Amino acid sequence: MAMITFRINRYNPDDERRGHYVQEYQLDVEKGTTLLDALNEIKWKQDGTLTFRRSCRSGICGSCAMTINGVNNLACETQVLGLGNSTVTVEPMRGYPVIKDLVVSLDPLVRGILAVKPYMITHSPPPSDQERLQSPEEREKIDGLYECILCGSCTSSCPSFWADKEYIGPHAFLKAYRFIADSRDEGSREHLEALDDRHGLWRCHTIFNCVEACPKDLNPTKAISELKKELVRRKLG
Amino acid sequence: MRVIKRYRIHAGTFAWILHRLSGLGLIFYLLLHIWVISHLSGGEESFDGIMHFFGGPLFKLAEIGLVGVIFYHMFNGLRITLIDMGVMVERQKMLFVIAVAVWLACWGASGAVMISRMISATG
Ligand code: HEM
Ligand code: SF4
Ligand code: FES
Repeated sequence: MAMITFRINRYNPDDERRGHYVQEYQLDVEKGTTLLDALNEIKWKQDGTLTFRRSCRSGICGSCAMTINGVNNLACETQVLGLGNSTVTVEPMRGYPVIKDLVVSLDPLVRGILAVKPYMITHSPPPSDQERLQSPEEREKIDGLYECILCGSCTSSCPSFWADKEYIGPHAFLKAYRFIADSRDEGSREHLEALDDRHGLWRCHTIFNCVEACPKDLNPTKAISELKKELVRRKLG
Repeated sequence: MRVIKRYRIHAGTFAWILHRLSGLGLIFYLLLHIWVISHLSGGEESFDGIMHFFGGPLFKLAEIGLVGVIFYHMFNGLRITLIDMGVMVERQKMLFVIAVAVWLACWGASGAVMISRMISATG
């Protein structure tokens, strides 16, 4: 057990006069407590007005991404004692407009992902008596791509996104490449269409914040390299 | 609504900021260079005059700085090009360390040559 101070950035849209402020909460934390557990404890026992998103509490839905001690991470996958500090600073994810407390508007995230048509596109008829099959080798090609849970941590951390609200964003580039690399997908042209644009791939300055920020250890910049190569190949070929 | 535009800095941040600063520095130098060269159209005297102005030791030292800026922009530019081609994307920090090492080695070598020439010219 250890007494931890949580410094939480707060904002209530119904109290504009107060604006953004930091509120501190104390909580006795034991081994195994995630930041999400701690936030729930605070909300249920200390302050019911504290607002944050969560759903799966097991690192799969992407709802609970927030900036924890300056680093984007999933609250439900963050061990409080593992942070190694007696004070934990919690902020809403950076780069997105704050709606209330730790809840940010994910409209830019959705706009970006829809631009790349984030679903399997096929033109040929499916095999008559079975699903579209994939060999283990073909399946392996989407390792490091399919795991994305669309938490938005990567795009939140990206200076190109801060500078251009219409930037499609690393999360959407990774998703586009996830389908282009999938042997069953026949819609590469459709996925790529929006990317060859001033709000698209060419705005990436290889700063690598997305790679630093991803809680699933994925590499959007690698996907961006592959997509750039694919676009160039199509232009020249 | 408030939007926070900040993130923890790391190798990639340094590489990018330095690349932008060096790029802007190069543009500034290029404009200065064109302006100096344009004195050629004013005849021999005008050109000799401006060359004399920029011939002092202070500008010789600034030239060593310029060489550093060029080498940084060049080697980090090659690093970015390699990354865009998919080379060492997963080891970009190592690639940055290599780019910095090559940069400093080339800058140091040419700086040494330039300084020794300055010394032999004055002495
Ligand atoms: C020596 C060979 C050079 C190489 C290999 C090179 C490479 C690059 C690359 C790859 C970028 C893109 C960076 C990014 O995406 O963020 C870039 C940007 C830039 N370069 Fe160069 N470059 C060279 C020479 C020059 C010269 C001579 C100038 C100026 C006269 C210059 C000015 C710039 C500027 C202003 C930028 C924009 C910086 C930014 O977007 O952050 N470069 N360069
Ligand atoms: S790539 Fe990583 S950081 Fe970006 S949305 Fe997917 S899981 Fe989140
Ligand atoms: S609550 Fe679903 S990822 Fe954290």
